[in-house]
Amino acid sequence: MYDVIVIGTGPGGYHAAIRAAQLGKKVLAIEADAVGGVCLNVGCIPTKALLHAAEEVENARKAAEFGLEFGEPKVDLNKLGSWRDGIVKRLTGGVQTLFKANKVELKRGFARFVGPKKLEVNGEVVEGRSIIIATGSEPATLPGFEPDEQGILTSTGALKIEEGVPKRFLAIGAGAIGLEFASIMNRFGAEVTVVEFMPQILPGSDAEVANLLARILGKQGITIKTQTKAVGYEKKKDGYHVTLEHVETGAQEEIVVDKILVAVGRRPRTQGLGLEAAGVEVDAKGFIKVNDRMETSVPGVYAIGDVARPPLLAHKAMKEGLVAAENAAGGNAVFDYQIPGVVYTSPEWAAVGMTEEEAREKGINVKVGKFPLTASGRAMTLGATEGVIKLVGDADTDLLLGVHIVAPEASDLIAEAALALEMAATVTDLALTVHAHPTLAESVMEAAEHFHKQAIHIANR
Amino acid sequence: ERRLIPAAPSIRRLARELGVDIHRIEGTGIAGRITEEDVRRAAGQAPAP
Ligand SMILES: Cc1cc2nc3c(=O)[nH]c(=O)nc-3n(C[C@H](O)[C@H](O)[C@H](O)COP(=O)(O)OP(=O)(O)OC[C@H]3O[C@@H](n4cnc5c(N)ncnc54)[C@H](O)[C@@H]3O)c2cc1C
Repeated sequence: MYDVIVIGTGPGGYHAAIRAAQLGKKVLAIEADAVGGVCLNVGCIPTKALLHAAEEVENARKAAEFGLEFGEPKVDLNKLGSWRDGIVKRLTGGVQTLFKANKVELKRGFARFVGPKKLEVNGEVVEGRSIIIATGSEPATLPGFEPDEQGILTSTGALKIEEGVPKRFLAIGAGAIGLEFASIMNRFGAEVTVVEFMPQILPGSDAEVANLLARILGKQGITIKTQTKAVGYEKKKDGYHVTLEHVETGAQEEIVVDKILVAVGRRPRTQGLGLEAAGVEVDAKGFIKVNDRMETSVPGVYAIGDVARPPLLAHKAMKEGLVAAENAAGGNAVFDYQIPGVVYTSPEWAAVGMTEEEAREKGINVKVGKFPLTASGRAMTLGATEGVIKLVGDADTDLLLGVHIVAPEASDLIAEAALALEMAATVTDLALTVHAHPTLAESVMEAAEHFHKQAIHIANR
Repeated sequence: ERRLIPAAPSIRRLARELGVDIHRIEGTGIAGRITEEDVRRAAGQAPAP
């Protein structure tokens, strides 16, 4: 009998397992596939490795502007592939070492509920006082574009860069995954098109900032078509002839590409898990229903990460894992945090808190502050002045409500904004914090100053 | 949908530990921020000396 059994060792699962062990619990973690889950094996980590390499290619080209000539970069795709794999191996090995150090028992196999607190793995039945479900998600499919990982790819297939950079690449879906692969392929020399059903890229995010990113990516040579859906394709000798249709006008066009990435979302992985045997309820979209304590409909059974609810992000899964583990250990934790989102294109996009639209819909007296990177000395010294920091705040209370960034290192800049929101900082608090000069982070301070029409480095309109 | 609670994570956790609903607390800090004292008062505890 275990105190806690965790199903899945992705970011959510391994966090839950380690925290439960730290709290003195006897923990079993079960993994059907690769330790580390999607994020470490076929998600965050390998994509970030490829994005970094792709950005370095671009940086090497751009360096000519300030007199550094490297010549046209040569990319050894096999070497790049092994570098990517090496990082994945080191990190996933690290998770197993951490399990050992914390005395988390690891069992390889596919777990299936045979009772509320009973699981069957490899024909063996294991029992836990608490069960934490962290089975993650898998790529959603798009009718008419069934992936074969040859020409029609999921993100997992698209990661196999050593199989060659396609001459013409189409990404269906302008979410984080679609845009990141578009960036990778574009930098490595592909002709890239991205189609998005919704009126803007990164649907649901601050429209003004998303549209700015779309314009910047457009200038880099990526063709982005919003309000457009891919309706089908015909495979011919010269490539995939894909029919695109404008969502409103119905106008159709055909483009010819060599590879197609289907990145239209992800769906929770609950198939074959035997949730019925446990009595665990799922919602209409297949996500396991949970409350803020990460409890499912069955007492003592928790669900975390991608399988529980959107947004499907690693850091959200990690924190939910800690919340579930603490509750399984008798604590009283709730998930009541702000969740930043990041897209690792270059420049990067990052946001946390409310969008301007959301704040207005809530009836808040909204005010915004903005600072363009064209006015940032640091951005100039980096040769990257495209981007903006946008703050959304409450004009009545001065409370900060949201921060939206397009900038180099936006992924790191957003942490300050997340802390500010967690601490219930006012826009004044942000403006009064001394930011080192010259840094990109100063632009956050200046956006806060602009909120009060007192920015120094721009005219305050 | 989640709304912004004007209280730091440690304050929110303290409220849970003391069994008070943070959503019902009226913050007395700047911009309506909820302080440790606000939470202790709501929990019926004497303010810290
Ligand atoms: C290409 C790509 C890039 C991404 N980049 C980022 C990023 O930069 N930042 C970010 O925050 N997020 C990113 N994500 C999302 C991130 O990967 C997920 O949010 C995260 O992995 C979710 O963690 P999880 O623990 O919920 O599940 P997962 O990581 O999906 O792990 C679930 C694990 O459970 C195992 N499992 C499933 N069912 C069973 C069973 N019945 N028995 C035993 N084991 C089982 C699976 O094998 C898997 O290992 C990316 C995703 C993709 C696809």
